[in-house]
Amino acid sequence: MATGVAFWRERNVIHLVCEEINMIKNEIIARNPLINLGYGNEYILNDGGLGAVLAHAGVGKTALLVQVALHAMTHEQPVLHVSLNDAVSKVDIWYRELFHDIAGKYDSADMRGFWERTLVYRFIMTFKVEGFSAPRLEERLTDLMQQNIFKPHTVIIDGLRFDESGRGLLMELKEMAARYAMRIWFTVHTHRHEPPQKDGIPLSFRHVADLFDVLVELKAHGPQIDIKPIKGQSADAKKDAIQLDPTTMLIKG
Amino acid sequence: MKFDDQKIRNIGISAHIDSGKTTLSERILFYTKRIHAIHDVKGKDGVGATMDSMALEKERGITIASAATYCEWKGYEINVIDTPGHVDFTIEVERSMRVLDGAILVLCSVGGVQSQSITVDQQMKRYKVPSIAFINKCDRTGANPFRVIEQLRAKLGHNAVAMQIPIGLETNLQGVVDLVAMKAVYFDGDSGENVRTEEIPAELLADAQAKREKLIDAASLFSDELTEAILEEKEIDPEMLYAAIRKGTLKREITPVFMGSAYKNKGVQPMLDGVTCLLPAPSDVENIALDMDRDEQPVVLSTDPSKPIVSLAFKLEDGQYGQLTYIRVYEGTIAKGSTIVNVRNGRKVKVGRVVRMHADQMEDVEELKAGYIGALFGIECASGDTFVSPGVNMTMTSMYVPAPVISLAIVPKDNKAQMAMAKALNRFTKEDPTFKTHVDPETNETIIEGMGELHLDIYVERMKREYSAEVTTGNPRVAYRETITQRADFNYTHRKQTGGAGQYGRIAGYIEPVTDAEFVFENQIFGGAIPTQYIPACEKGFKESMAKGPKLEFPITGVKVVIDDGAAHAVDSSDMAFQAAARGAFREAYLRAKPVVHEPIMKVVVETPTEFQGSVMGLINQRRGIIIGTQDEGLQCVVEAQVPLAEMFGYSTVLRSATQGKAQFTMEFAMYRQVPQSVAEKIALEASQKKTSVA
Ligand SMILES: Nc1nc2c(ncn2[C@@H]2O[C@H](COP(=O)(O)OP(=O)(O)O)[C@@H](O)[C@H]2O)c(=O)[nH]1
Repeated sequence: MATGVAFWRERNVIHLVCEEINMIKNEIIARNPLINLGYGNEYILNDGGLGAVLAHAGVGKTALLVQVALHAMTHEQPVLHVSLNDAVSKVDIWYRELFHDIAGKYDSADMRGFWERTLVYRFIMTFKVEGFSAPRLEERLTDLMQQNIFKPHTVIIDGLRFDESGRGLLMELKEMAARYAMRIWFTVHTHRHEPPQKDGIPLSFRHVADLFDVLVELKAHGPQIDIKPIKGQSADAKKDAIQLDPTTMLIKG
Repeated sequence: MKFDDQKIRNIGISAHIDSGKTTLSERILFYTKRIHAIHDVKGKDGVGATMDSMALEKERGITIASAATYCEWKGYEINVIDTPGHVDFTIEVERSMRVLDGAILVLCSVGGVQSQSITVDQQMKRYKVPSIAFINKCDRTGANPFRVIEQLRAKLGHNAVAMQIPIGLETNLQGVVDLVAMKAVYFDGDSGENVRTEEIPAELLADAQAKREKLIDAASLFSDELTEAILEEKEIDPEMLYAAIRKGTLKREITPVFMGSAYKNKGVQPMLDGVTCLLPAPSDVENIALDMDRDEQPVVLSTDPSKPIVSLAFKLEDGQYGQLTYIRVYEGTIAKGSTIVNVRNGRKVKVGRVVRMHADQMEDVEELKAGYIGALFGIECASGDTFVSPGVNMTMTSMYVPAPVISLAIVPKDNKAQMAMAKALNRFTKEDPTFKTHVDPETNETIIEGMGELHLDIYVERMKREYSAEVTTGNPRVAYRETITQRADFNYTHRKQTGGAGQYGRIAGYIEPVTDAEFVFENQIFGGAIPTQYIPACEKGFKESMAKGPKLEFPITGVKVVIDDGAAHAVDSSDMAFQAAARGAFREAYLRAKPVVHEPIMKVVVETPTEFQGSVMGLINQRRGIIIGTQDEGLQCVVEAQVPLAEMFGYSTVLRSATQGKAQFTMEFAMYRQVPQSVAEKIALEASQKKTSVA
């Protein structure tokens, strides 16, 4: 009954886990348009630096900054995500969806484990727009830092209104970034009716533009989104716009 | 007396994140007069103030907060049901799919069909939810609704047909052409609230006619009347056309596509017309209950309000007004004062207040008829419970019961307590499927199991109070689990030669981790290396091994077993021999597959005055918790975290003293997660101590 010849090959046990995770980390970098615009520094901004993504409503500012956050988190750099628009659960979905978009093709058990280990490098805070101020944020931050709960490397502030909040708030935030050796990224909602300026900086943002080290603009172009550096690019970097996937703001993979 | 439910719509809005679901929901509530103003704000520079007054950022705070929001459109009563935004929450998704009859699939005109739209669409397919599509953001650069329609066809397999064509696109988007009425529709006023119909602009007429042909063509498959009219080249009556499209939509054989821009207030009202004209009324869809008296046989419900009540509690909410239970009535009528029975535990309750939730307020109503959705106050139940009239024994859901996460040994004081305890446990396990009990074969102790410390406390308390069963309790034990992390091969021979008949069986193959199942068995033997009659014995042997890990003795989950070779002996092989071989093979491979321990993680939500936020977060941090986020609400703040259950013992006392009793928390099981190395070592030590103390 038995086949007679014992048919048996010793199979190699495969250790894919580490390799796959490195592949994901690399993919997060390779598909991140900001990193590929040629901004010298690995994290684009230095300690104390401010950066901003400018775009019209609905053009994926949040997605782009979540990518910046994912890059930092997967390199074990803590990210504080401050949202003035969305609830904690919605912000969380942004991260999961984007991670899923990048990691979906890998083994799901490994990815889940990796994701859970990465999650400790993220902290979401939501404020009502009226309730947000630099002292308030600092108070929360010191709560976290004094107890060694969380010390951000990168801060993302999504939903601040630049045409309404004056220069004062930005100066305070910039000082804070320097004090705690963090970098802060902002989303800036620009308006379609504003006439385009030669240097790419919209009028409603001009009063604070000098406080920023890096400015990029997202622009819809047909079915494509282009990302265009406005400020802070190193001299030898390529000047062309990069085309993005319109929903994820990833470089088309 | 048949009551007319044709003017009721229970719909969900499903969308990929960022395609504009929130914005669209808000617009719906605005146009149906549930929100009274889209905030009026002047742009700083005074330019384009009209457009800016519409900025979504200005409207925050008026989102749909409830599980079901009621509104009215042209005499129709619409419930908008909140569908979970992400596909992870399967039970929640299942429940929301149960209560909605139709859906709006929102897509972005630039992004089109994305990977998550595909997942969302699959759910709707599984639950056979008829839907219409709304292609949003047509004002965006790169907007191309007809490419999205192509994607709906190609990627999702929808028979998508345009009900409209856009008038202008991108920044030039002005309105839509209605292909049924053959009229141009514009949206005037600050918030697009004034719908104006005009003749179709000449330059769009040819295209509109061509697209209308397509629409009529697709619809004609569902109506002989329409086909006839086409053949006779008669004028096509809009009513007739709508009826045909509706028929196709209800069968999910047509997906009518609307388009516009929620943000720019264009196209939302015609889409609402689509909801009322094309999506099903409650009695248009088949709802099925399971008859508990006849082995859970499916029974089709009738949407008849005069019949006995059958209803489903689909969502519980602790609101500012106390506990609200959202309920959908499938048959009969729930009114103030009705007596209803919770099918799960047989408890009778009298209905007090019945309400309907609006965006920002709630309205008391007398009754909820079949097909309606509303909420009840002061009903103790679990989400997913079925409520019926006394005498009915049907359930809306074949009940999903999560495995217990915590256990506790209980010891009765004396003989009398022993009897009382047995009686109480018998009763409790009947009432509550998440409460379980068994006798530990090693220690002979009675063990109770449940979903949390508090859950078990309540039952111990009830044993004393209601049954006078005095018991002492041991320390609560967390229900750890084991799983493997990598593939490992086995090739095991079971051989025994004792006197008469021997035992022989050889099994080869491998085990590997799986994430979405507890146990998978796959037979890849071709050519009969193991005769097929012994394969079930092999499976049984592996399955039995899953009950207890060889070292720590926790149940094992998430293993796939593949067998691909083996050998049998004509005389000495038997079911028993192969079962033994499978157990041996499992043991051989298991430790090499790098087993790890998983522990239950609870979602913990603490609401605290802001002044204590720091110490609340500190407490969570000390307990190996991960803080997901904090939500600042002025004086109060909400901290959301994931904390291992093992670390939550005694938390309420600690929290109370740290916040002067001013904070509250809720906790529910979220998931299993691997324990960190240091903790795993501690657990291993405890397990070995337990073993020696038993031995
Ligand atoms: N241009 C444009 N943007 C929109 C439209 N609808 C929503 N948005 C923007 O898209 C983003 C996401 O919208 P939201 O309603 O929160 O999407 P959700 O994630 O699906 O709930 C926000 O910035 C909105 O202002 C639209 O019709 N046109």
